[in-house]
Amino acid sequence: MELLTALAIGIMFGVGIFQILRRNVIRAAIGLIIISNAINLFLLSAGAYDGVAAAYVDAAGQRSDALPQVLVLTAIVISMGGFALVLAMLYILSARYKTSDLDEVKGLRY
Amino acid sequence: MILSHLAVLPILVPVTGAAVGILLRNYRDIQGAWTFGSMVTSFFFSVALLYQVWTTGEALVFQVGGWEAPFGITIVADMLSATMVVMSQVVLAGGILYGLGCTDKCARYPMFNPVFLTLATGLTGAMLTGDIFNMFVFIELLVLSGAVLTAISDDQFGPEAAYKYFYISLFAAIFMLIGVGSLYISYGTLNMAQLAALIAANPDMPLLPIAIATLMATFMIKSAVVPFHFWQPDFHTAAPTPVHAVLSSVVVKIGIYGFFRMTTLLFIEQAATIQMILVVMGAFGIVFGGLGAVGTYDAKRMLAYSTLGQLGFILVGIGWGTPLALAAAVIYAFNHSLIKSAMLMLAGSVASRAAVKTAAFSTIQGMGKEMPFAGILFLLGGLALAGIPPTNGFVSKLTLFRSGIEAEAFLSLAFIGFASLITVVYVGRAFQRIWWEPKMPDIKMKPAGDRLVAPTILIALCLILGLWGEPLIQLADITTVWILEPSNYIEAVLGSELVVSGQ
Repeated sequence: MELLTALAIGIMFGVGIFQILRRNVIRAAIGLIIISNAINLFLLSAGAYDGVAAAYVDAAGQRSDALPQVLVLTAIVISMGGFALVLAMLYILSARYKTSDLDEVKGLRY
Repeated sequence: MILSHLAVLPILVPVTGAAVGILLRNYRDIQGAWTFGSMVTSFFFSVALLYQVWTTGEALVFQVGGWEAPFGITIVADMLSATMVVMSQVVLAGGILYGLGCTDKCARYPMFNPVFLTLATGLTGAMLTGDIFNMFVFIELLVLSGAVLTAISDDQFGPEAAYKYFYISLFAAIFMLIGVGSLYISYGTLNMAQLAALIAANPDMPLLPIAIATLMATFMIKSAVVPFHFWQPDFHTAAPTPVHAVLSSVVVKIGIYGFFRMTTLLFIEQAATIQMILVVMGAFGIVFGGLGAVGTYDAKRMLAYSTLGQLGFILVGIGWGTPLALAAAVIYAFNHSLIKSAMLMLAGSVASRAAVKTAAFSTIQGMGKEMPFAGILFLLGGLALAGIPPTNGFVSKLTLFRSGIEAEAFLSLAFIGFASLITVVYVGRAFQRIWWEPKMPDIKMKPAGDRLVAPTILIALCLILGLWGEPLIQLADITTVWILEPSNYIEAVLGSELVVSGQ
């Protein structure tokens, strides 16, 4: 289970980085969501495992650490706010430059 | 009022001011006066906080909600935090004052001043908090506010600049979360004091180098250290004047604060490696920033590149790591904030007289002839930036070079000594282009521009700190002695018995 989670997080991170590095602004924004979710899973898994067994499976003895879940909640809220701002700026950019290609957005490049 | 509440007031006053300021959005004059008043109130509270911490010589610790240190969020105001907070709030108050007398349309928007206050909250909170996740939250608040303030700029490239700034800052946030998560996995705490104690007790955790690397990347992006700087000059060309005057002077200092905490509190064992990287990057940044500033065509962009160079000096000071060098870094950070914000405001006020607002030298050339007072201020600020007496820039550069001689780092000292001469070149060129050369015949000037009250106050502070720099130097010395002993911080937060058991 740990290996699977680690692999899943790694793949999500890789996909997110790949999408961010593409020139299409929409894909870059989607990559941002994927990468921030990968980080949230990473934080969640920080508290989820106690040794080999998933902590929340065993009801009697082991408890999962609640703090990372709280951290993830905070991180989700923050990334949501940030993402809304990114989408708003993308809207202005695509309306102003009439393109979704980041290479065409070069008003400040001299 | 309990005394320890003083530590949380510089955070609470701006955030309350922002909330009430939103309610006052239909009454523009009242809102302006209210936001400026809350910022000034907050500044006086932070001065009182610094006075309290300085006179007692101990950190002021506030446990939020009454939860004791390792479990709850702790607000820690030690000498370094209090100094940094006073530095930030004086510049932030200057920024709001400039915004009130600013001709930009965006400064009239009903949300401009409240968002400015949330920016102040984020900056102050990130410097005062003793909890590393809380620091992340405050930094995010800071970045969101900064991006919003940039995106609403009158300049048509505002959203593009804000997009760049915000994207790279979101990346920094992601890195910081990885670092925080790694530290939490390794040590099971987020409290900086307890983390410091546990890291010192057990420095071999496999995730620790990852945490150090990601936190360094985060703070370097925040401070626009040279390989991570690319958003910064664009951003400063497009942002509204009161906003970039604050962002280029005090907001970049959040990374400097982070490096102080990393090398003197959290990662003592690994500090030598971090410091070596900081010296190399700082020295590179000084040369790069200086040459970049010489090669620009725009007064604001020139000052933005100059920030890269000046931050390099502070990083080199932190990197040398001796008590005197750290004190020099504190002095340099304080002085640079005042100088750079005043210079950017002056450049912005000259630009505001142009028919189409821009700070490009080709447009504003010779326009200073009608603003002689701004010329005097710009000259004084330029002298301070170059480190020529009787300004505070001389004090900071002298202390830094003296600490370099004492640390026997002659190679890097010669390097940065040579590179600091570039400052004279670009400052002199800007002064010459704006105030000496004849005006372009076809350029029309507006009759009135931005008010010069805020830069006048800041330049006056620069002169005062140059002629009477002793209190700041003493303050920096005491700060350095205090922070170089990490057990001071740990004991102030956790109490002495917790440190011994290590848990």
